[in-house]
Amino acid sequence: MTLSPRPRTLRAAALITGLGLALSACSGGGDGGDSTLTAPGPEVLEGLDEAVQVEFWHSMDATNGQVLDGLIEDFNAQNEGRIEVTGSFQGDYDTALANHRAAIQQGDTAELIMIFDLGTQFMIDSGQTVPAQSFVDADGYDTGSIEGALLNYFTVDGELRSFPFNNSTPLMYINRDAFEEAGLDPDSPPTDLAEIREAAEELTVRDDDGTVVQYGFGAATYGWFVEQFMARAGVPYCDNANGRSGRATEVLFDDPKVVETVEWWEEMIDDELAVQIGRNTDDAQAAFTSGRAAMTLESTGSLGGFIERSDFEVGAGYFPLVGEGDPGGSIIGGASLWINGEGHSEQEVRASWEFVQYLLTPESQSIWHAGTGYLSVNTEGYDGPEAQERAEEFPQFSVAAAQLADSEINENTAGCMMGVMSEARATAEEGWETALTSDTPAADAMSDAADRLDTPIEEYNASVEE
Amino acid sequence: MTTTKTATAPPSPGTRSPRRTQGGEAALAWAFLTPSIVVFALFLAYPLGRTVYLSMHGNDIIGRPNRFVGLSHFAEMASPEFVKVLTTTLLFTIGTVVPGVVGALAIVLLLEGVIRGQRFLRGAFALPFAFSVASASVIFVVFYSPGNSVLNGVLYRLGLDQVPWLTSQDMALWSVCITTVWMNLGYGVLVLAAGIGSIPKEINEAARIDGATGVRLARDVTVPMLGPQLFFLIVISTINALQSFGQIHILTRGGPSGSTTTLVYSIFEDAFAYSTSDFGRASAQALVLLLVVLVCTAVQFGVIERKVHYA
Repeated sequence: MTLSPRPRTLRAAALITGLGLALSACSGGGDGGDSTLTAPGPEVLEGLDEAVQVEFWHSMDATNGQVLDGLIEDFNAQNEGRIEVTGSFQGDYDTALANHRAAIQQGDTAELIMIFDLGTQFMIDSGQTVPAQSFVDADGYDTGSIEGALLNYFTVDGELRSFPFNNSTPLMYINRDAFEEAGLDPDSPPTDLAEIREAAEELTVRDDDGTVVQYGFGAATYGWFVEQFMARAGVPYCDNANGRSGRATEVLFDDPKVVETVEWWEEMIDDELAVQIGRNTDDAQAAFTSGRAAMTLESTGSLGGFIERSDFEVGAGYFPLVGEGDPGGSIIGGASLWINGEGHSEQEVRASWEFVQYLLTPESQSIWHAGTGYLSVNTEGYDGPEAQERAEEFPQFSVAAAQLADSEINENTAGCMMGVMSEARATAEEGWETALTSDTPAADAMSDAADRLDTPIEEYNASVEE
Repeated sequence: MTTTKTATAPPSPGTRSPRRTQGGEAALAWAFLTPSIVVFALFLAYPLGRTVYLSMHGNDIIGRPNRFVGLSHFAEMASPEFVKVLTTTLLFTIGTVVPGVVGALAIVLLLEGVIRGQRFLRGAFALPFAFSVASASVIFVVFYSPGNSVLNGVLYRLGLDQVPWLTSQDMALWSVCITTVWMNLGYGVLVLAAGIGSIPKEINEAARIDGATGVRLARDVTVPMLGPQLFFLIVISTINALQSFGQIHILTRGGPSGSTTTLVYSIFEDAFAYSTSDFGRASAQALVLLLVVLVCTAVQFGVIERKVHYA
């Protein structure tokens, strides 16, 4: 139950860490103190006796992990004797954040960490990292080719806080074969909820007994989609301009646009045009690739898997609008990279930044995008040989970039910045699910869920303002 | 696990040494006891004390206790949400203990009638016990998966209605119970099979001579003779049910809409799930869980054990 070590162990650990820091400060020869909260220049890496060690905590496993390891190896080879990066898989995003919390308690954080979008406000409030903006300013780093929607999300109070890296945006996927069989045009997939319903009526196939064998639609009740629907509709997810003009004090996912979406979802299930999935996105993926559901909603990152696993032609379209004429913004998801300054020397901070710069080059992003399906954070990455090859083979890969390029950049598409965002997403899912699985009307379910977050938000804000 | 010994091993009277304990011996005893006392203090007393401490404190965003809040975490539990959590826990416990124990008993009694291949069948029924919670749950994920459920595929071929295994608030808890019962059945079969093997043959023979067969033999002889094992199984299954986590996490993550959120799952959600690190609330609930387990076990010892016949 208890995670924190005994006070004595803690004292001993602090002592050892302190000694270690003192020693490293001596051997480093420079004036690297215990913490570096502004960006050091490139000169700190001159005249090193041995390579600076950078531990990189991330949440990439399987294919994505291998692509990342390849990039790390390549970087280490280029920087032999200067910088050595060691990747360390920390489990999924939530676990990685929990591990990072424990590391903060013990004063032993990694040099570089990957933290998901929902942890952004926490990362700012915990005050352990060097703001990304300070590297950009110190080096005159050009962010011009970095995807605007990503900079928009990770910029808070006019400062870029972290470096976007593995990011995605949700799309609508269609079974092109099913579209053709139903006499629909797979090249113009539905663009809003009403059109999805119309298409689903054609796509739903029943056997002789009237049991549905193919549903028109089926997607997970995934809280990220609520955020996306709201960005598409151009409404903020939380108050104070999505938490960007001041701390958010309440969530607004009981907005009529969300209620409309949930009601639509409910009717789709009641009329047997959509299969009820639940919260697990794996189940939604399985329903789509097995041909049970002809349309689904998923991240861009799933495209490769969809193409691999399904025996029909997979098409991709923009994430649906709630209603015709919505402004159609798009929000991003995924994680960004944070460089820890608290408890780290200038050398370590600078070395981490050099590695991040390497990851953001068009060359690295081309490999990353083609290998994983994540967006190319650097838009020039799409012109790289690996990305080009991939785009020729699967033109669907260009849809995500186009959807982001078409999105207006404003506070509504920046996403909500809030300390308890992870809990908010889960609570939105709960409200949505309550509407689908009980007699509670969608409006009540969503506003009850939104109200439940008042206390956590208040408590969080109080604890960081003290 | 001390319950094991109390329940299964009859106390053996008259083993205490009549010799008076001398000072040296007492010192020796303490010396031998020290390691276990240290281990006990380190891994039981300290965490318990720490839990009590945390339950009365609020956390900063890193999860460090930073303010005293007294009993307010406990006061907050007087809410409909927490009552729902307790109700779910109760239903889950009943829904797994009763079918688990009755099912294992039925299997063992029925297998008594099988002469050839009894050992093999017992082994086969005990097999689920060898599955880890994670792998058993993953198998059931495939069975229940919405849209692609193996079970629904079977029902469809039989011309029956589809069941929303995990996507209905009324059904999800029972689906998790089915998985849990399947997992626990093997253990029950093992324990009861061992028990039935230790019933003296003479008792059965005597009953048969008196004309008892089939149901009568099972009801009046075998089941009462299995009393200690059944009691042990009930106590252990109850504690297991109250502590279940893996299958809930893998199958439903407490949903839909909190319908499978048991006390343990609620503790997990507060402490770890949404990077909230609310160790204070979680610790307060953990103490409630401790209390529930203590009360359940005490009641079981007070009520059921009185009726258990130790041979």
